[in-house]
Amino acid sequence: MRLTLLLLIAAALPAWADDDAAALQLADKTEAAAPEPAGDWHIYAETALREARPRGAGLAAHGTRASLDARLDTSFAPGWRAVFADRLDLNRSDGTSGKDDVNTLKEAYLSWQVQPERIADLGRINARNGVAMGYNPTDYFRAGALRSVVSLDPASLRENRLGSAMLRGQQLWSGGSLTALYSPKLAEQPSSATFNPDWGATNRRARWQMALSQKVSDSLNPQWLLSGGEGQKPQLGMNLTGLVNDATVAYFEWSGGRAPSLAAQAQLRADDSAFRSRLASGLTYTTSNNISLTAEYEYNGAGMGGADWDALRRGSPLAYGLYRGLTSNLQDPATRQNLFLYAFWQDALVKHLDLTAMLRNDLADHSRLQWLEARYHWTRFDVALQTQLNTGAATSNYGAQAERRMWQAVARYFF
Amino acid sequence: MNYAQLAAAALLAAAAGAAAAAPDAQALLAASDAIRNPGKPFSLTTTLVEYRNAKQVDSNTLTVYSKADPNSGQFRSLIRFVAPARDTNKLMLKNGNDLWFFDPSSKASIRLSPQQRLLGQAANGDVVTVNLSKDYKAQLAAEESVQDGDRQNRHCYKLALAAVSVDVTYDHIEMWLDAGNSRPVKARFYTASGQLLKTAYYRRYQAQLGVERPTETVIIDGLDPNWVTVMRFSDYAWREVPEAWLQRDYLPRFKPE
Repeated sequence: MRLTLLLLIAAALPAWADDDAAALQLADKTEAAAPEPAGDWHIYAETALREARPRGAGLAAHGTRASLDARLDTSFAPGWRAVFADRLDLNRSDGTSGKDDVNTLKEAYLSWQVQPERIADLGRINARNGVAMGYNPTDYFRAGALRSVVSLDPASLRENRLGSAMLRGQQLWSGGSLTALYSPKLAEQPSSATFNPDWGATNRRARWQMALSQKVSDSLNPQWLLSGGEGQKPQLGMNLTGLVNDATVAYFEWSGGRAPSLAAQAQLRADDSAFRSRLASGLTYTTSNNISLTAEYEYNGAGMGGADWDALRRGSPLAYGLYRGLTSNLQDPATRQNLFLYAFWQDALVKHLDLTAMLRNDLADHSRLQWLEARYHWTRFDVALQTQLNTGAATSNYGAQAERRMWQAVARYFF
Repeated sequence: MNYAQLAAAALLAAAAGAAAAAPDAQALLAASDAIRNPGKPFSLTTTLVEYRNAKQVDSNTLTVYSKADPNSGQFRSLIRFVAPARDTNKLMLKNGNDLWFFDPSSKASIRLSPQQRLLGQAANGDVVTVNLSKDYKAQLAAEESVQDGDRQNRHCYKLALAAVSVDVTYDHIEMWLDAGNSRPVKARFYTASGQLLKTAYYRRYQAQLGVERPTETVIIDGLDPNWVTVMRFSDYAWREVPEAWLQRDYLPRFKPE
């Protein structure tokens, strides 16, 4: 027995050595290319073909899109930095005349690092908060920020949006920081004109926010937020993450304060201000072959509960439309409880193929939004195929969309 | 035998024992750490070239900024993606098990678990600076001759490293150090169940920041030996990193001059 084992080991040893020698030969042949420095510009062009099939009978609608996305982040003097991010979407749809072109001025600001730990910013800034994945109650500047939706992937919704004009200051210290910002009122109404910077969408009222982070222990670093503005009571927020084990991250995001319900904000009922909480909490587990699975529970204390939601769906179409328009603009869930599942598999089965799957499930009316993407990338070129399926009754949260099934093919080139 | 003779015999025995005493494994490991890692805050460029079945399938370039924690002695690292173009200026922060990924386009800071990999074969722990002597207890396992990264036989101390810290990438490691100068030659990395995860060869020694350091690590997958990653290190520079920058809240601010 022992002899057999020794013979097996002896037979395996040369193979092992051969494998290592082959690997080292590969390394010998690896060219010593001088690494290119990263430039200040990050630009890509994208084109997309889209097909949408309506609920029930009806012809599929087709559309095309061409987009240019540019981001500049440059230091032009010691301590000074300029950031500019802009996206142009040129949309064409069959069956509709005219153009639907949208330019989104995402960011344009100057940053002054007075000292290594003290920084001031002025301009249009995408000030984003939140550790959750599908819904960010503490992302107070999300309201009105979406101007052109090209994908329902939460990562795309975070990226392709308007920043708000603001003055922001930050003081950092070892293990913590304090940020304060003021965003003034600049315009009365949003604008849909193609190249309008749309200050009316993001700066219709004055707002402010403070954020404090302090590391409590090696694994705990909570962030506290306080946010307010014209016509709004201050809202308190908290973000917290923790490591459950080597493969699992848990997160908790909460915002609460006195506020009217969304129904009252849509003027469907009288002011009903009360203390309301919003939260999103979940777990991300990564398998040994690098598939990340996220399950998130979402609660919106200002959204409609089951009975109210049923009544609204059965009632006046005008009231229903007003409510949906408001929640969509605020990027707030229409109903009180939702479940969000997200899976991402990098290098799925073959190298450079990434698969993403998303499910949003409304726990009040059981409607669902399902979204899948397969993306293959070369060094500078990506192709992606996306599909979306909305299921549920006609006026349900996700079933209300005119399209039931959508397909989109996307090609992207990075300059 | 009188007392003087006894004392002399005892001294002789002690001297002989000292001459034959095994070298301090932990000190050897610390010496090899000092060869891989500069002693003051620094930055370097890491280029990863990944092969599958002898064909290049991927290439990434990163800039790594590292600074040791004055209390634990372990490094904290800020990693900036340089290439390919789709990943330019994305950031990763590693401070023990506190691991964050930041995308400047979406302004999203996402906490990662140690198991989540961003770079193909290389674990996040492979691309950051690690002082192994702070996280592992070393024992001298053998003194033997092994083939180094240049296929030359080299007389080495073989150390057996066992994790003493929970936030490490590998449960235990076998490491071969040149018996003459403590230079790392080769290492094998294992899971808790004893499965070989990867083999690494340290080679292309060059003078960098005052010390001859390995400027290339060849990583061979433990299960699939045709999966190989070549990590090259260049552009070594002393680089002061303020303590306040090594946290999640600074990620949106990080902009190297």
